[in-house]
Amino acid sequence: MPGLLADGVELWPLALYFVAVVVLAGGILGLSYVLGERHRERATGMPYESGMIPTGSARVRMPVEFYLVALFFVIFDLEAVFIFGWAISARQLGWAGYVEVVIFIAVLVSALVYLWRQGALDWGTARRAGADRDRSGRRHGDE
Amino acid sequence: MTTVPMMHAMIVAAILLGLGLTGLLVRRNIMFTLLSIEIMLNGAGLAFIAAAAHWKQADGQVMYLFIITMAAVEVAVGLALVLQMYHHLRTLDLDAASSMKG
Amino acid sequence: MTLEQIRALLPLIILVGAAVAIMLGLAVRRNHAFTVAVAVGSLAAAILSLALGPTVATPITPLLRLDGFSVFFSGLILAASLFVAVLSHGYWNRRRTVISEEFYILLLLAAAGSVTLTMAVHFASFFLGLEILSGSLYAMIAYERDRQAAVEAGIKYLVLAGGSSAVLLFGMALVYARTGTLDMAAAAAKLAGALDVLTLAGVAMILVGIGFKLALAPFHLWAADVYEGAPAPTAAYAATVSKGAIFALLVRLAAAMDIQSNPPFQATLAAAAVITMFAGNLLALRQSNLKRLLAYSSIAHMGYLLVAFLAAGTLGRTAVGFYLAAYIITTLGVFAVMIVLSGTERDADRLEDYIGLSRAHPLLAAVFAGMLLSLAGLPLTAGFVGKFYLLAAGVGAHLWVLVAALVISSTISLFYYLRFIAAAYAQPAAPPALPAAVAMPRLARLAIAVLVILLLWLGVYPAAVIRAIQEAVAIGR
Repeated sequence: MPGLLADGVELWPLALYFVAVVVLAGGILGLSYVLGERHRERATGMPYESGMIPTGSARVRMPVEFYLVALFFVIFDLEAVFIFGWAISARQLGWAGYVEVVIFIAVLVSALVYLWRQGALDWGTARRAGADRDRSGRRHGDE
Repeated sequence: MTTVPMMHAMIVAAILLGLGLTGLLVRRNIMFTLLSIEIMLNGAGLAFIAAAAHWKQADGQVMYLFIITMAAVEVAVGLALVLQMYHHLRTLDLDAASSMKG
Repeated sequence: MTLEQIRALLPLIILVGAAVAIMLGLAVRRNHAFTVAVAVGSLAAAILSLALGPTVATPITPLLRLDGFSVFFSGLILAASLFVAVLSHGYWNRRRTVISEEFYILLLLAAAGSVTLTMAVHFASFFLGLEILSGSLYAMIAYERDRQAAVEAGIKYLVLAGGSSAVLLFGMALVYARTGTLDMAAAAAKLAGALDVLTLAGVAMILVGIGFKLALAPFHLWAADVYEGAPAPTAAYAATVSKGAIFALLVRLAAAMDIQSNPPFQATLAAAAVITMFAGNLLALRQSNLKRLLAYSSIAHMGYLLVAFLAAGTLGRTAVGFYLAAYIITTLGVFAVMIVLSGTERDADRLEDYIGLSRAHPLLAAVFAGMLLSLAGLPLTAGFVGKFYLLAAGVGAHLWVLVAALVISSTISLFYYLRFIAAAYAQPAAPPALPAAVAMPRLARLAIAVLVILLLWLGVYPAAVIRAIQEAVAIGR
């Protein structure tokens, strides 16, 4: 049965590499566990062992912009995949392919213009002051 | 040991699909639910890649590109909805999101 | 790509172009009326381009194919989208607190996805169309994100649609693994009716995925919650356009793969049809929320459609086409009444909202009653002729059990439709719960009038339409 890899491609270097990675990572962790020095003082578990005692919860609520940027990253990141797909066979695809990828990028740019004008790219609240409609329009749409 | 038979890859893909489906049915946290869907989609994607390699075609790989695009859409809309759900309910438990009955 | 192919692809180009244009327009200035005008205009232009498009079947790349079948179903979908867009205008105008313009971008994209589905002859275009449609639907359902129910409905739909898409894709991958082609007809030819375990599982998984999207029993439980949480125009869209497009795809897929003549699938689908008809109608009996009722009734109607689907052949496909047209017109009619009655705060989806409707708006009440009677399948309406054709197709194919189930379950359906009609003609004990929207937008009024005319036309003189559908589905093979 024909397999995943073309004939003649050796798999053993990959396997060796994998084993090496496991041995290296395991070795470093294991050795430092065995050889490392350990102590259990009263303040050992604190974030700042010799500093001020922290107060409050470490679970800070992130501003929503972080999520927004993450969402934009996911979307625009994938659009790069399609452009790479075109790029590796650009010569074969010729002008027709070029026109198609230009249309594709034009759509992306208009999406970016839309996001920019909605204020989705502004960080913080100062810039969006007085733009109530933008505030709620921002997360609608095609995100 | 130079090739991986298609059937082996298909079995791994089926296991992924099963794992995702189990997660979808068992987990109540919305984050894990979205994660499970992602795993199911990757199972389907792996099956396409394996089939494409078997037939020595690019079609299956193109399908994989479409699948990850769809997964990204799902994640983007999903996360936006999760934020809204947290805003309304202060929890990520799916069972809490059951205001509709009938 | 030749000029002829671009001409065939024009509806899709117009829709997507208009969606991008609206998006850019919003970057400059927000204007609801202008956005609606662009959306409605582009939908009308897309319909026109279909009508003036190539008259012979045109393959557009290996992915899509424009033939009579896709022209008919695309036309149906685009017309339904146009009605939803027109009705949305007044609806969002009354909800001042919601930013409404992006809704039309999503609507146009969903229409583009649906049209892709009707033209798809390849698994890749099938998947793309489906995902463009459902991706837009997620956002359309959760559009009023300040309402908790809308967000819940969006999450529910997202999770179930995502899971079912994964199952569907795995099924496609299995078929691909065996046949080495993603073209539906070529894959079917390779299989040549002989299915081994792998492809049997593959086709079954594809059918499960489609069944989820159509809300066929036993995968129907999401529909009611999603419709209830979604804004009324989205619910109308999901009940008509999305179901119509997916059913069209199912018919084409089945015609290519000859699913109906495969005994295990035939038996399973027949069982699913019977359960779907009864589950939909029996669950609808308990509902006093119109959106939930319509959700269950749409489940039941998908069950009816499966009868004609299983009958297969030209008669079966004609019946599917006609019944889908009648179902879409009628369901849009009921939703149109709901949309114009919906107030600034919530949708008019409770039974109380309709008590005494005949006093306040006699004409609207008559439309409402007529549409519900058509859903129940009473004579002189499109629903009656449609059901007649379903029965004819079922009897022609000797599907006696299915025919009996259809007759019995649609008798049950009379009860819950009549309940709402009775409410509309009852004397209000107290003043109506909703301050009835008196200022009905002129466009919405026109849309409702057109729907009523279509309903009666299909109900009284269906011959011309049926002949057209027969021709369309005959080329479809």
